[in-house]
Amino acid sequence: MINVYESVDANKRKSAIIIGAFVVFVVLASVLIAKGMAAYYGYQSSGLEFTGIALVISGIMSFASYYWSDSVVLGLSGARAADRKRDFNFYTVAQNLSMAAGLPMPKLYVIDDTAMNAFATGRDPKHASIAVTRGILDKLDRTELEGVIGHELSHVANYDTRLMSVVVVLVGLVTLLGDWLLRATWFGKGRRDRNEGNAGAIFMVLGLVFALLSPVVAQLIQLAISRRREYLADASAIKLTRQPGGLISALKKLGLDKEPLEVANKATAHLYITNPLKNQEGGINWFASLFNTHPPLADRIKTLEQMS
Amino acid sequence: MSLPIIILVIVVMIALYVLSVYNGLATMRTRIQAAIQEIGNQLKRQSDLIPNLETSVKGYLAHEKDILKMLSDARKMISVGQDASGKISELLPKLQIVVESNPEIKGSTVVMGLMDELRDTSDKVMYSRRTLIDLTADYNIRLVTFPSSVVANMFGFKSEKGLETPTSGEFLKVSQKDTETPKVSI
Repeated sequence: MINVYESVDANKRKSAIIIGAFVVFVVLASVLIAKGMAAYYGYQSSGLEFTGIALVISGIMSFASYYWSDSVVLGLSGARAADRKRDFNFYTVAQNLSMAAGLPMPKLYVIDDTAMNAFATGRDPKHASIAVTRGILDKLDRTELEGVIGHELSHVANYDTRLMSVVVVLVGLVTLLGDWLLRATWFGKGRRDRNEGNAGAIFMVLGLVFALLSPVVAQLIQLAISRRREYLADASAIKLTRQPGGLISALKKLGLDKEPLEVANKATAHLYITNPLKNQEGGINWFASLFNTHPPLADRIKTLEQMS
Repeated sequence: MSLPIIILVIVVMIALYVLSVYNGLATMRTRIQAAIQEIGNQLKRQSDLIPNLETSVKGYLAHEKDILKMLSDARKMISVGQDASGKISELLPKLQIVVESNPEIKGSTVVMGLMDELRDTSDKVMYSRRTLIDLTADYNIRLVTFPSSVVANMFGFKSEKGLETPTSGEFLKVSQKDTETPKVSI
């Protein structure tokens, strides 16, 4: 038995630890790869300007998807705006919960798809949107819907879109840097006489190792952060609704739904309440679960049951 | 770095901290006031809504004297400034039974609309209270935890009551009857 406050606090703490580890890793990897580059180019540059350039490029690539995250995703999803009359439960539940959470009312959309899913996006609570599928509105009752909307609103309140965008920029930074070093050494073999001694050789090797491994490791940490934010959103949802039963039974119904959501793709998968691609549900082993954006439903339900 | 500069930096940091705690607490206090008004706002909405609902479903539920009685009771409670959410949650299951047993009513969007609106209005009052409870809890925690408590004492922030609930009484006790599993007969 864990109470909701403890659960929310514990999730925030764990989330902060993973994010801290991620930042440390990114800094370490960029420094080492940059050193490797510096060693490769015979110390004509410190290698740090590469880090700067990579950060700018990665930032520019992700900025658009961050700043216009709502319109981009919603445009792709083919969503229509929800209205109070047609989608009474969805509209009023979102209204009530955003009042309880002290958030401005997000824009609401319905995706015309029979698959059951829901997602939240937008760079901050003022520009937030929540979209749900027709399927979820048809199959969940009001209490279950409260759990789902509570989860999505918690993503909004916890600034998860912003967090994941920053994480994506940093993963991009490491990937770009690693790529550059590998290309440089690959294409530029024996281009230059290098007499930089032992330290240079060590940095070369370390840089290459990090260049090879960092993109994968960074992505794994990114996914771990994504999964932790899901647990946090579950816990915060219960803090809002105080009805773990609603979210538990909604998740059970979502688990039974085997239909993949057509409009979802890998880039937007982490935004949804459950993995919309359905490609890794069932028979999840420890290794496969490392590559998931969402924790296994069974674990989420178990965690929620401890709160009820 | 020389000593005076270090001291200056520390003093500035402390001043900034005090400032941020002061502003945080003052903001939260204002939000608590707003949350109290929001409860009033939702009760006002309820009191506007229920008489209208009552009028619109009277014709459909003419035979259901019980339900109409409860609905008008709820309206009366609201008209003297009481919260009718309790009455509404009592009314809803009964309405559900009527709807299930009567296909004609089930088909009528008016009665289904009534049920939706009733549930929504009592949810709204409940959630407006939830806001007040959560905000007050966050505010009061800052008042008693270190180091923000020091700043709070300095400026004389008082703890907020939040939702006024009696601190003793029957509801804190569990009677023998409450411990038994309720039997549901269908």
